[in-house]
Amino acid sequence: MSAIKIENLRLRYGELEVLKRIDLEIPENVCYAIMGPSGCGKSTLLKVLNRLVEMNHNVKISGDVKLFGNSIFRMDLTRLRREVGMVFQIPNPFPHMSIYDNVAYAVKCNGIAKKKNEVDEIVEWALKKAAVFDDVKERLKTKASQLSGGQMQRLCIARALALKPRVLLMDEPTANLDPISAGKIEELIMELKKEYTVVIVTHSPGQAARVSDFVAFLYMGNVIEFGKTEEVFENPKNELTEKYVTGRIG
Amino acid sequence: MLRILKDYLFVVFVIASAAAAIIPLFHILFSVFYNGIPVLAKYGMEFLTDTLPPPNKAGGGIFPAIYGSLTMILLSSLLGIPLAVFAGVFIAEYPNNPLSRAARVVLMIMLEFPTILVGLFVMAIVVIPMGTFSAIAGAMALTIVMLPYVATYTEQAIRSVPRHYKEAGYALGLKKFRVVFSITLKMAKKGFMTGLLIGVAKVSGETAPLIFTAGNVWRSTGALNEPAGAIPLWIYYLVQQPYANYHEIAWGAAVVLLTIFLAIFLPGRLMVRS
Amino acid sequence: MDKFKIFLIPFISVVFGILVLMLAVFAINSIPIFQREGLAIYTENVWIASETPEEERYGILAAIYGTLYTSLIAVLIVLPISIGFSIFVVDFVPERLKEAFIIPTDIMAGMPTILFGIWGIFLLAPFLSGIADFLYNTCSFIPLFSYYNPTGFSYLTAGVLLAIMVLPFASSLIREAYRAIPVVYREAAYSLGLTRFEVAKILLGYIKPAILAATLLAFGRAVGETVAVSLVIGNAFNINPSLFAPGYTISSLIANQFGNAFVYEYMPSALFSAGLALFAIGLVVNIVGLLVLRRWTYA
Repeated sequence: MSAIKIENLRLRYGELEVLKRIDLEIPENVCYAIMGPSGCGKSTLLKVLNRLVEMNHNVKISGDVKLFGNSIFRMDLTRLRREVGMVFQIPNPFPHMSIYDNVAYAVKCNGIAKKKNEVDEIVEWALKKAAVFDDVKERLKTKASQLSGGQMQRLCIARALALKPRVLLMDEPTANLDPISAGKIEELIMELKKEYTVVIVTHSPGQAARVSDFVAFLYMGNVIEFGKTEEVFENPKNELTEKYVTGRIG
Repeated sequence: MLRILKDYLFVVFVIASAAAAIIPLFHILFSVFYNGIPVLAKYGMEFLTDTLPPPNKAGGGIFPAIYGSLTMILLSSLLGIPLAVFAGVFIAEYPNNPLSRAARVVLMIMLEFPTILVGLFVMAIVVIPMGTFSAIAGAMALTIVMLPYVATYTEQAIRSVPRHYKEAGYALGLKKFRVVFSITLKMAKKGFMTGLLIGVAKVSGETAPLIFTAGNVWRSTGALNEPAGAIPLWIYYLVQQPYANYHEIAWGAAVVLLTIFLAIFLPGRLMVRS
Repeated sequence: MDKFKIFLIPFISVVFGILVLMLAVFAINSIPIFQREGLAIYTENVWIASETPEEERYGILAAIYGTLYTSLIAVLIVLPISIGFSIFVVDFVPERLKEAFIIPTDIMAGMPTILFGIWGIFLLAPFLSGIADFLYNTCSFIPLFSYYNPTGFSYLTAGVLLAIMVLPFASSLIREAYRAIPVVYREAAYSLGLTRFEVAKILLGYIKPAILAATLLAFGRAVGETVAVSLVIGNAFNINPSLFAPGYTISSLIANQFGNAFVYEYMPSALFSAGLALFAIGLVVNIVGLLVLRRWTYA
């Protein structure tokens, strides 16, 4: 069974059709990249997968998305978002909360752990998994706003991982980071994809080539081409794909 | 589950708060119209042209109050608007001048002044030397109340005009004075008018500043250096009287005041968002 | 210096002049009573007016107590309601209808306060007196409810009226702060599988300084309100913990007593010193509130 199966998905904001007809299957425990130029619907597609698009009341969706066989539109929303974690383009740890609380808050609310020592364990585990524990272990109670951009983003990854999701959605996670931090995150993704299904949206074909096992090329709301990363990059079947991966359109 | 229950209670709380916030307003507006309009119907047009009747006698009106209010609003506008506009222009055009920075703080403090203290102040410097309450004193108190509103709105309106319009004016060789008044203020007209309307609407309803300045009369000669009535003042004193017809007249005056207020305030407010 | 500036400076100076003059007037006029009683004017509850100056004695403690008590009641009522109302307008109401909820509160914010007063004295006070009766008859052992007051003119009525009057101001501050929270934080919170309540807790934590500032500024407004309060507070020199007892506030004391103050030697000065106290309380609270608002940033 594939981790995520997108069937005949269409999405409109009012009169504007943003996703025109998406059919995709994402296998388990791989890194699947969705690439394409800016404004073609990549982030929107990602936000359908955890139904975050529904925060906008004007949105109309048709078609279905199945998460491990279950339609996400028939699932309990909080349960869906526990199974599918998300990391955003702008690192957004809650700045007024401590590093510890950033990770612990959702863990406690979702009932994953209640007692202090259980929560402590999970926080430490998640921060280690996100390769940021050593940076922050001396100052867990300080405000998250004091961290650097790269550290913030890894904190956000920890925050998502703490809920033990099966899928991790990443919306251009390195777009606002310096190259060194970006590199660290890409390394982290290579580790994480062994245990999680990572779906990453990126506007850099280079990044898609580096970290992903599978890739889909999205252009103006349509999937133009998809498949194994090496095949799509070395032998693109579609002219548009070729133009994109060689940098002639972007 | 407890978690779902808490979320549900939260939603209930939010909706209940909204109701608690909105309902009193509508109840107040409703009560004023409900109690006041029958009074106007009963007393007829004379309500606006007659003077106060003796206790428990039929008929009468609130003309002296209307006259006093209009006189003092007019006078305070004549005094206050130019003063506030020039002050606002200064702060907007020379924002880094230490005077401007201090003035901004002062205006903010003045916005929060208890208005009764404004009245006391004007009483001390005008009424006591003059030896009598007067419309002039009342107008001066209203000017001080109006000042911070109109000044800050003017300043914001001017600052909202994009710089290149002003620069175009200077490039054409216009002097600063001309640029401000012919170009900037005209472009900021909307924000500026809003400030004027809101400032005037505010002072039209003020009571406390007038208690020790205008003094209140039930019959006036109309002279500016004599005590004057005002609609809010009359309401304040009439509700404290034991006579039923005075209470009636108070409601009637209230509906007149509310109507005047809405007529000035609503256009100003609706201009802001359009 | 260009001529325009020179032309404008007198006007800006008037602004300062007014403030400075006001302070001076209040200070100078308070001197007689300070000389006579020292700080006892603020710490005692006594009001003896007399034709013989030697027998006059004033102490406005009751008024200070009443001002603080009624404003506290107002703020305690306003705080949860303004938070809830702000969440309602920002999160629950669709974009096109938001103005429909904001305009009424703006009207309330600017409305002549005497209209609140007339509504308060004829409608709110009788209504609350019914509730007061009920509570008095059932739980008068609790000090809060222990005063028998059939008129409805009390700290509670004044506090509720003040709450209604400062609510629009507090909720507009909180609402704008809540609305301005960057979308990314909302998205992050929802993406963690949190319920609306749990998300709200995070977002409210983010704007905590704004909430604090709104509380302080609302308190500052309530402290200065005069006519509406003086019509419903009962105007009695009381210091009583019961919600239903009548009392005085500084502003209503001034409004009430100044009419006949000039007959006496020291009463005007006493009332000016009361004004000075009111000014000081309002100033401190407002400045702290504005400072909290100004210094609020996250890295």
